[in-house]
Formats: sequence, structure tokens, C-alpha cells
Amino acid sequence: MSGGPYPVAPRSDLNTALVWVALGAAIVVASWRMERMTAQGADLYTAPGLWPGVVGLALALLGGLLAWRSLVRAREAGWDAAAPRGETLVPTPRFALAAGLFLVYALLGVGRGLPFWLSTALFVAAFVFLFRRANRKVGDATGSDRGDAVLAVVCGVATAAVVTLVFEQLFFVRLP
Amino acid sequence: MFDGLVAFGHSLASFATPMSLGLILASSLVGVIIGALPGLTATMGVALMTTLTIKMPSAQALLVLICTYVGAIYGGSRSAILLNIPGTPASAAACLDGHALAKQGLAGRAMGIATSGSVLGTLTGMFFLALFTPVLGDLALKFGAYEFFWLALFGVVIAGTLTGGDPLKGWIAGVIGILCASVGQEAVYAHDRFTFGSRDLAGGFNLVPALVGAFGFAELLMAARERALPVKVNPFDSVIPRLADVARYWKTIVRSGLIGTFMGILPGVGEDVAAWSSYAAAKRASKEPEKFGKGSIDGLMAAETGDNACVPGAIIPVLTLGIPGSAPAAVLMAAMLIHGVRPGPMIMTEAPTFVYDVVAMMMYATLGILLYGLTLTNVLIKVLMVPKPVIVPIIFVLCVVGSFAIASRLFDVWVMLGFGVVGYTLRRLDYPVAPLVLGMVLGDLMEKGLRRGLVLSDGSLGPFFTRPISAVLWITIVVVVLLKFDVVRGLFRRRPRPAA
Repeated sequence: MSGGPYPVAPRSDLNTALVWVALGAAIVVASWRMERMTAQGADLYTAPGLWPGVVGLALALLGGLLAWRSLVRAREAGWDAAAPRGETLVPTPRFALAAGLFLVYALLGVGRGLPFWLSTALFVAAFVFLFRRANRKVGDATGSDRGDAVLAVVCGVATAAVVTLVFEQLFFVRLP
Repeated sequence: MFDGLVAFGHSLASFATPMSLGLILASSLVGVIIGALPGLTATMGVALMTTLTIKMPSAQALLVLICTYVGAIYGGSRSAILLNIPGTPASAAACLDGHALAKQGLAGRAMGIATSGSVLGTLTGMFFLALFTPVLGDLALKFGAYEFFWLALFGVVIAGTLTGGDPLKGWIAGVIGILCASVGQEAVYAHDRFTFGSRDLAGGFNLVPALVGAFGFAELLMAARERALPVKVNPFDSVIPRLADVARYWKTIVRSGLIGTFMGILPGVGEDVAAWSSYAAAKRASKEPEKFGKGSIDGLMAAETGDNACVPGAIIPVLTLGIPGSAPAAVLMAAMLIHGVRPGPMIMTEAPTFVYDVVAMMMYATLGILLYGLTLTNVLIKVLMVPKPVIVPIIFVLCVVGSFAIASRLFDVWVMLGFGVVGYTLRRLDYPVAPLVLGMVLGDLMEKGLRRGLVLSDGSLGPFFTRPISAVLWITIVVVVLLKFDVVRGLFRRRPRPAA
């Protein structure tokens, strides 16, 4: 389990390792405190907390191993040494906008009173328009605001119509 | 033997209806498109189609899912060859030589090789699926609680070891999956575990929304994070597979078919490992290893045969042991349970013809990919040209609707979102997601095996270690884990002799 270059910086690995150790320890404690069901005739080995306790312990141990490894790697190559991932990331605000649109649609757009077809059409149209425009600004796409707006509306309406029809009429699935 | 052939003939005939043939054509097409689109994987495709087919009769629903699965693994090769972007992780090996051939103006020939390799690989795996399943089913009847515990653990450990570049992170992902499976009421006393008073959580995490999140939503977040570069497609020649290529590389086809099937049978390993293993074996056996990576037909044939042979191979442990051989097979197994099929050692007793139904479904799926392999190239190129900002929101709508459709509750949409965020975070930190899925699927089996075994042995751990099959399994697990540590590997490494 050694040899570089490492895909993730030792600092990130250590941080996640500490999360696993803490989570594993919390699960072990919660499992230990869990109702043993002795009144129902349970032994130690049939108690509901046995299995999650064992698994929590395994998580804490593996987390400890990861922490130890990140310390060794940090000593070898430095805390922030990571191999380049060979990918081009979009600016964080653009990613945050995408993630925000996903969450708003899933948490507030469906099942909260707005008709499904309407929220779906709005979500798809907004997503298509905003990201086509953003791609145009960095030279990854061609076209105009007007063209993108038309494309966005067409995609939104078509998706809402097709998904509603296919799920409700063809597959008899209830929509949110 | 003849009973099997007759049952297979009956199964083939039972799907030869206009409705079933229409579903085969549609779902193979959906599979090929999902596989071809970079960022959308076979697991995601099968998970989404599971939600769509929830109200269908079980045979037709499983037919759709198997065609989607086979189609997606095949479809990945198209974008690998034309764009140098693997459509699915399984087709990453095909990028090396497939795209090199495309750059030499031989994209059509490369696609023909991918088609012949995929078809023959699926047929090889299908042959072993029909041959091994009844035999392994009989063997599986000898398995008790102890053996199932170790087998399930073996699946998670092997998936963690082989599916990512970092075994330690793979094992951690597997353990997190097992923990997720322990949320909700436990099986013996119906005691709520880690539910925090939530009635929704008492039933545990529904597997399909969790998988749609871990594979679907997480992949969409990855797609939103990475910059989409303009698509550039190489020109291509005829895509008709050449018999001469098949005849010349028949040894590669047989070898890769066997390796792919074997990798499929290993719990949790999956198509990408099958493709790389077949590719490496072909390179070792080749008289022209220097051509690998520069447009070797041998290499492309090996990768494509191996990953498609893995599909039927991965279904063998599903049917015989109730343990999936790959992440998409895990979703398929969940779908079987939803549709009232109980995969596992009793399948040959409870539903002996079902195995042959699955083989027949595989046969039709193979015909589907052959048909689309010959005809779909231009359409597929147009699909590949659709910009990412158009595809991403549409897939997300399907993730939301699909998660909701399983049980008509918004809680499952939240589960999908939660697992999506977890899956995305794990990927960014270089944790593989397949072991997490295996852990979620096998966690329950492991717990039942442990608790049942302890009850049977009156609290003694002895039988877990002394029964013959158990002993083989735990020793294998220990060896697999220990061999990942340099200290242990160093003990077996040959030391250079000191100079005289």
C-alpha cells in the first residue's frame, strides 16, 4: 500500500480518516448502549447492537489505518502532495449553481403543491439556459441568448410532457 | 442436459411475442445510448429502468433490465472508439486501441471488432451461465449460515480490493455500505437501529433510490463539476464485423470470454476489471505486445469480449448464491426481489426454468446489440453530440421520478439525494462506489449469517473457522487482504542474490 504519486493529498486522507474513526467510534458506543432485548431471551450474540458494533469497530480500525498511512505519506511527500487528476473543473460558483438547481427542484419543486409538469419544465428550462449561456461565455458552445432561450423552453416542455405521459400513461407510475 | 435445452427453447419461444420483441428493441437501444453517453453507467441505467418497470410483469421487467445491462456495457465502446472517452468504466480498456484505430481512419473496423467481441463474449458468458448455474446451485445447497457470512464478506472484500486503485478506501466504502444496510428494524426482534425516531427510516434505506443516488445523481454532480469539452468525432469506415478478424483472433476471444466470465462470477468484481484482465492476458500472450495501446485489434477484441462475457458471469452468483457479481448485477438482484423472484441456492428447486429464462433474455439482448452494432452508428453520433447541459437535467428528472416511483414517498427522493452527495464526495476523494453498493446489498446477508451461525453454535465462533468451505473462504479473505500490504508482499518477493 505504498508508492506515489498519490491521487489524493495526505491532508485530505487524514481528514476523512478522522471522520471514519469518529463515526466508527460513535457507532460502537451507540451499539453498546442499544437495547439488549434480554427480556425477550436475547443473548449477547443475538443482541441487535452486536452487528453494527462489529462493523463500527471495523470502520474505526480502517479509518485508523488510513490516518496512519496518510501520516507516512505526508512524511514522504508533504501534506498537500497530490498527483494531477487530468480533468478540467468548472468554476466553483457554476458547480454550486448546478447543485443548487438540483436541490431546489428535488426538495421544493416536487411534491410541494406545484404541479409536477410545471416544476419539471421550469427546472429543465432554467438549467439548459443557464449552462448553455455559461458554456458560451467560455467558448465551449456557440449560439445566442435567444437561441438558447428557445432551446431551453423546448427542452423543458418536451421533458415535462414526455416524462408525465410515459410514467403515468405507459408505466402507470404515480408522479410526485 | 436435454432438459436444459428444452427449457431454454421454451424460454426463447415465450419471449417471441410482439410485446416482448418491442421491449427488447427499446431497452437494448436505451442501454446502448446510456452506455455510449460518457458519465452514464450501466448501473445507473439498470437502476433507472428498475424504477420504470416497477409495474410490469416480472418476466418482461427483467427482460428490459437485462437488455439494458448488456446494451450499456456494449454501448460504452462507441464513445471509447469515436471520442476517446469511455462511455462506461468497463470500456476504458477499449479506449486504448479503439481510439488509436479511429485515429488511423479505422473507426468503423474498430466498431466492428467491438461488436463481434461483445456478441461473442456475451454468448460465451451465456453458455457458462446455462452450464454452471444448475451445478453451482446444487453446491450452494451445502452452504449454511457460516458459509454465507464468509461469502458475503468475501464479496465486499474482493470488490474493495479490485474495483478501485486503493484497496483500503475500497474496504472503507464496503464497510460504510454494510453500516447503511444495518439502518432500520433488525430482523430478529424488530428493534429500531439508528432511526432517530423516524418512521421512514424504520424500513431502512430502499436499495433502488440509494443506488440511483450513488450512481445516477453522483454521476450528474461529477458531470456538472467537470468542464465539457466540445465533442470531436473521427470519420469512420464500414462498421460491419469482419469474419477474418474473428477467425484470426479466436484464441483471444475464447481466452477473454473465459476470463470475463470468471471475473463476473467473483462477487463484486465487475466488467471493468474483466476488461482490463482480458486485455492484460491478451498482451502477455500476443506475439506483438508492442502494438497494444497503438491500435492493436487483439487488444480491442480482448477488452470488448472480456467485459461483455462478464455480464452473464455476474448473474451466475446472483442466481445461485444471491450474491451479485458486479454493481449492475446488484441492482438486477434488487429488481428480482422487487418482482418476487428469490435468487439464491433454492432457485433451481423453487423456479428451475427461471435460469433458462435469464439465458434466453441474454440471447435476445445479444441479438439487440448485434442489430444496433450494425445499424446505429450515425444515430449514436447525433446523440453523443447533444450538449451536456441538455442531458444532465433530463437525467436528473428521471432520478427524482424513478426514486419516487418505487414506493410513492418523498423520503426516497431524499435518500437518492443523500446517497448522491455521499457518492460524489467519495468519488472526489478517490473512494470506489461499487463496494459501497455491495456492502448495502450483502450487509443483511452477512448479519443474518453471523447471528444465525452464533445461535446454531450456541455462541461459539468455532464453526465459522473449522467447517471446510468456511475455512477456504476465510483463509482466502485473509490472504487477499494481507497481500495488499507491502510488508507481507515483501516476505514473498525474491531477494536479489548478493554478488559473489
